[in-house]
Amino acid sequence: MTPAPRPDERFEAEPPDVPGFRTWRGVYLFVFGWFVLVVILLAAFTGIFS
Amino acid sequence: MNGADWLVLLGTIVGIAAYGSWRTRHVRSLNTYLRGNASTGWGTIGLSVMATQASAITFLSIPGQGFESGIGFVQNYFGLPLALIVVCAVFLPMYRRLNVYTAYEFLGRRFDKKTRLLGAGLFLLQRGLAAGVTIYAPAIIISTVLGWPLDLVIVFTGLLVIVYTVTGGSEAVALTHKWQMAVISAGMLTAMVVLLLRLPDGLGFTGAAHVAGALGKLQAVDFSLDPSERYTVWTGVFGGLFLSLSYFGTDQSQVQRYIGGASLREGRLGLMFNAVLKIPMQFVILLLGALLFVFYQFAPHPVFFNQAEWRRHAQDGRFRAIEAEHAGAVAQSQSAIRAWLQARASDDTAREASARAAMVAASHRTSAIRAEAKAALVAADPRAKTEDSDYVFITFILTQLPHGAVGLLVAVMFAAALSSKAAELAALGTTTTIDFWRHFRPLAAADEARNVRVARRFTALWGVFAVTFALFARFAENLIEAINILGSIFYGVLLGLFVVAFFLRRVGGSAVFFAAVSAQALVIVMYFSLNIGYLWYNLIGCAACIAFSVALQAVLPPRARAAA
Repeated sequence: MTPAPRPDERFEAEPPDVPGFRTWRGVYLFVFGWFVLVVILLAAFTGIFS
Repeated sequence: MNGADWLVLLGTIVGIAAYGSWRTRHVRSLNTYLRGNASTGWGTIGLSVMATQASAITFLSIPGQGFESGIGFVQNYFGLPLALIVVCAVFLPMYRRLNVYTAYEFLGRRFDKKTRLLGAGLFLLQRGLAAGVTIYAPAIIISTVLGWPLDLVIVFTGLLVIVYTVTGGSEAVALTHKWQMAVISAGMLTAMVVLLLRLPDGLGFTGAAHVAGALGKLQAVDFSLDPSERYTVWTGVFGGLFLSLSYFGTDQSQVQRYIGGASLREGRLGLMFNAVLKIPMQFVILLLGALLFVFYQFAPHPVFFNQAEWRRHAQDGRFRAIEAEHAGAVAQSQSAIRAWLQARASDDTAREASARAAMVAASHRTSAIRAEAKAALVAADPRAKTEDSDYVFITFILTQLPHGAVGLLVAVMFAAALSSKAAELAALGTTTTIDFWRHFRPLAAADEARNVRVARRFTALWGVFAVTFALFARFAENLIEAINILGSIFYGVLLGLFVVAFFLRRVGGSAVFFAAVSAQALVIVMYFSLNIGYLWYNLIGCAACIAFSVALQAVLPPRARAAA
């Protein structure tokens, strides 16, 4: 008894409803930018303490 | 452990399990049982995803990795945020649109029944085998250091998780995950604070970090292109991307955490929560291990941290000599570190370089004696367990933390064990019910109450299987690697199936099915004949499955293609 698909959900148009972000693409870019920043910080950490 | 420790341990672990069972005792809906409460928000989903991945091994082995090999293991997680973005953008919307219970139902809709069964079968094989490891891993360590009977720990942990997972299904899993993560966070924070307070006067975090760095423990990133290097930026980003994509996108134990919830938004934000926090969290746990290494440069510690194993074999004078030699080397290393710290403060670069070389040499000598101790263990008994890094953190907990906090930290290990185990059992029960039982009993799909009953029985059966497997099997020494290796062997091909499903619209069921079987055979042969970092098998399995699918689709006779 798998439920029927949910045709009424407009997935791509659904806004993230997160302050500062109007689209999901913006959220993904932020997360990607955060990842790059974390790698840079880890590289700096390695440089400072190694 | 004293009364306070027992109170904290049982109060948290049994209390959370009882709360989860009691709150979800009336679950009768199949949707709630398999996908959780329909009003679940992103915070609960995010914590549940995190708790599923963070097994007890995370908190036992990873500080040990930091202690032994430094924090380079953090690179293993570099592919994770990227993979979660792909899961959010591609996988999750499709799962919700099709309103499936399992990821493998999607394969059935996109291809055919045999491909769905293959995907579900690969998951059950991989996750079913790992199920024994995830219950055995913390049990062996906790029972060894606390002197509790191993079988009792396995059975206690197993029964506890079976009771609340079978009772409330996915809803109970998500509910207990929140509280288990609270216990884990509080415990790890306590351990870090105590560790920093126990460092020698005047050293502090910065001084300890400089010592750890100078002794090679703080190389977080390595851009080496050598394929035999296990952890580099490249294995982390590419191998880790494929491993994480497989794990989060196609492993039912994770998919089940985020396909429910109030809306697509909640699932996406829950995953993004993990994308942002996972690397920093792993970094902190590894850093804890590296700082433990520094702490033990100044504190008395055994030459071999698995003291139960050591005492079992170290009977003659040779072992006493090794212990004495180790104590002398630790004292020399401590003096060398203090000399380096003074030289470093003097701004005399020549003196600093000389003191650093002496400190590194002293540290190498200590490591050589530890290696000598392990060799002596093997000489005494070839079956002796020689990996002791998993015992470093638990030794610190038991010897350095105040009472109450010891109970909390042991509760962390149990909470982590239960959280990952519960998600696994729920996923195994769901996949067996939805993808196999209903496949062979299609008429039973309409009977919701019967479906819930069957899902409960399969969940319980998998729990009993995991406990039995843990009771009778003996596993590889480095447990976290054993699980990652097992995952890497199967996950790549499983991911390949989904990548073809999502992105190669022209490939049909027969082509992808035979491609996946061939790719899996190739990965297994390569694993036993080559010596390359295991993370690469995720990429190889996935790439082989895709390439074989495209090739087979091109050469299959038109009838087979049409049938596909």
